[in-house]
Amino acid sequence: MKILVLNSGSSSVKFQVIETDLERMNAHEDRTLATGQVEKIGLDDSRLVLNVPGRKPVADYREILEHRAAIEWALRVLSDPLNGILDGVDDIDAVGHRVVHGGEAFASSVIMTPDVVQQIEECSVLAPLHNPPNLRGYQAAYAALPDVPHIAVFDTAFHQTMSPHAFLYGIPFQLYTKHALRKYGFHGTSHRYVAFRGSQILDWDKGDKKLITVHLGNGCSLAAIDHGKSVDTSMGFTPLEGLLMGTRTGDMDPAIVPWLMAMEEMTLHQVNTMMNKHSGLYGVSGVSSDMRELVEARADGHQRADVAFRMFCYRVKKYIGAYAAAMGGVDAVFFTGGIGENSPEVREWALGGLEYMGIEVDTEINATLVGGEGEITTEDSRARVLVVPTNEEKTIARDVVRVLNGIMPTFEPPETVTP
Amino acid sequence: MSWELHNVAIIGGGMMGRSIATKVAQEGLSVCLKEISTEAVDASRAELEQSLDHEIARFGLTNSEKKAILSRIRWVTRFDCAADCDLAIETVQEDFGVKRRILRELDRRMVEDHPIVINTSTLSITELATQNSRPERIVGMHFLYPVTTTRVVEVVRGQLTTDEVYDRAVEFARILGKVPIKVFEMPGFVTTRVVLPLVNEAMHTVMEGVAEAAEVDLAIKLGFNFTMGPLEWADRTGLDRVLNWMQHLHSESGEPRFRPCPMLKRLVRAGLLGAKTGQGFFLYDSNRRRTDRLPDDKPRPA
Repeated sequence: MKILVLNSGSSSVKFQVIETDLERMNAHEDRTLATGQVEKIGLDDSRLVLNVPGRKPVADYREILEHRAAIEWALRVLSDPLNGILDGVDDIDAVGHRVVHGGEAFASSVIMTPDVVQQIEECSVLAPLHNPPNLRGYQAAYAALPDVPHIAVFDTAFHQTMSPHAFLYGIPFQLYTKHALRKYGFHGTSHRYVAFRGSQILDWDKGDKKLITVHLGNGCSLAAIDHGKSVDTSMGFTPLEGLLMGTRTGDMDPAIVPWLMAMEEMTLHQVNTMMNKHSGLYGVSGVSSDMRELVEARADGHQRADVAFRMFCYRVKKYIGAYAAAMGGVDAVFFTGGIGENSPEVREWALGGLEYMGIEVDTEINATLVGGEGEITTEDSRARVLVVPTNEEKTIARDVVRVLNGIMPTFEPPETVTP
Repeated sequence: MSWELHNVAIIGGGMMGRSIATKVAQEGLSVCLKEISTEAVDASRAELEQSLDHEIARFGLTNSEKKAILSRIRWVTRFDCAADCDLAIETVQEDFGVKRRILRELDRRMVEDHPIVINTSTLSITELATQNSRPERIVGMHFLYPVTTTRVVEVVRGQLTTDEVYDRAVEFARILGKVPIKVFEMPGFVTTRVVLPLVNEAMHTVMEGVAEAAEVDLAIKLGFNFTMGPLEWADRTGLDRVLNWMQHLHSESGEPRFRPCPMLKRLVRAGLLGAKTGQGFFLYDSNRRRTDRLPDDKPRPA
């Protein structure tokens, strides 16, 4: 079946058409027919780019003021006899929507009924920048394609299997019950895909292993996955917690926030922006938020670039150690995301000295593996380390198939705590 | 409703106009900002960039956000751009004649049911509105400086303002992330009317020798959890503007409680207008930072 996958942001809509079904999924033969995006929605020079494998990219410009027009435009281009890949919009069998936050309400991918949409709206308070545009994209797509099923796939759902001792913060319990203040974790579709695909490559079909998935991209997070279930992840209530990222602080002493607000007379907005957009690799190095530029600057002897690089790798290593301890061992570590897939330097530094844990990196193979699938540990290494390029859109398309075939797993917590 | 808000005309590139333009552009809308000459445009643009750089230094904004904001602001010297705008707002000085002339220029060019907003804290919306062919589309909004961080705006209904126009002004306020306070026309509305007697009383307290200006200010700031005291607020607003509002409120209402403190008049006559001139009740450097704070007037962690 042909599935339209949508990732709607506040001023952009990314889309893919993926052909897949149960057979193709199991054989890892899903086909991406087209990828594209509409950018600068709301402005008079909005841009649409369409990439069809094997063809030259197509770009188009016009004034697009809202999501509905953007999605109609995308469908028109996809159905265009010259540049398109569909005979008509009727070719689309279902639509998969990326939804950032499902709160505690969603532990699985689901068909978007009015009730579901209402619940997603209620989760907006947890992700005010993301859920509302996700829903605008849904409403626009539903208007254009009212007769096919629409499925919501949440970034948070996969981590709903965490136990309370992993997801609670050490704050008064009533604040958790009142505001749903807890660790949710993000990048769920990526961690899930990479865990699945990595295991497939290793021929581990029983799903009884202890895995650590390391997603290092614009945002960075790890997940500890035991017997196929996420038992911990480094992002928290928001995507700010955990690893050092391009412009985000990651873990820090929360007392810094009120201290800075008092001493620098910073507003809430300023301190938020400081932590999310002025920090991380960029804030520490003063050079760039881009790991490639940092690696170059470091090679040129730039000290702050070097320390930012080492901080980044050090934290990845700390979390790998923590998660191995949490699971009582680790059978494999899978790296993914722009940095995870393309930076041998980061992988080498993050894994250096972990031989005692059974991780022995083959530095030569590691150095040459850039942007592809493969193993970077030696033959004797007890734990295996793989690089697995992520594909969140494919996971969304596969979830559409799973939901429609009634085989979508639910990621429920093993226990709950009542006040 | 066929009306949608995408393009906003702002008339006047002063402190208030720039501040509103920044906020509007930040929310993803297009702005055309009109100044009187190319020299004024250059000066206004330079000031706006400087204030964005200042916010970047305070971590409130990033370089790419600054670029996006600037790309959404078009600077012009003619009124023609208003023809394509869904809403226009004037932000020129508090002068009846000047505002009247601008409203006429806008009224002549804009689609007939598109709102025209007067940004004023004291002038009569109704009196200004009746000078136009369509007074019903004229509505008041009183923004408080700095527009980027102050969460409130008073939306002022004139006698002839229609519900539709009024609702659009409220929607504009919401798009800017402001809480609209709905008020009827009356000199000073809510915020100015309530704050001016407080400021005036602080001045009288100093004049009567009850306490030094810095002590009066600090007492009120710490006592009521204000971000700054009333005298520093007056200094930063501009003592000439404060005096102008007081006089207007006093003459419109005839109430003695709005009579400006003689000390305020004296400072204005001496050209000591506050932060912008380096001295008012307190002293300021060229970056408008206060240089004479009391030792107790400093941030303290927790």
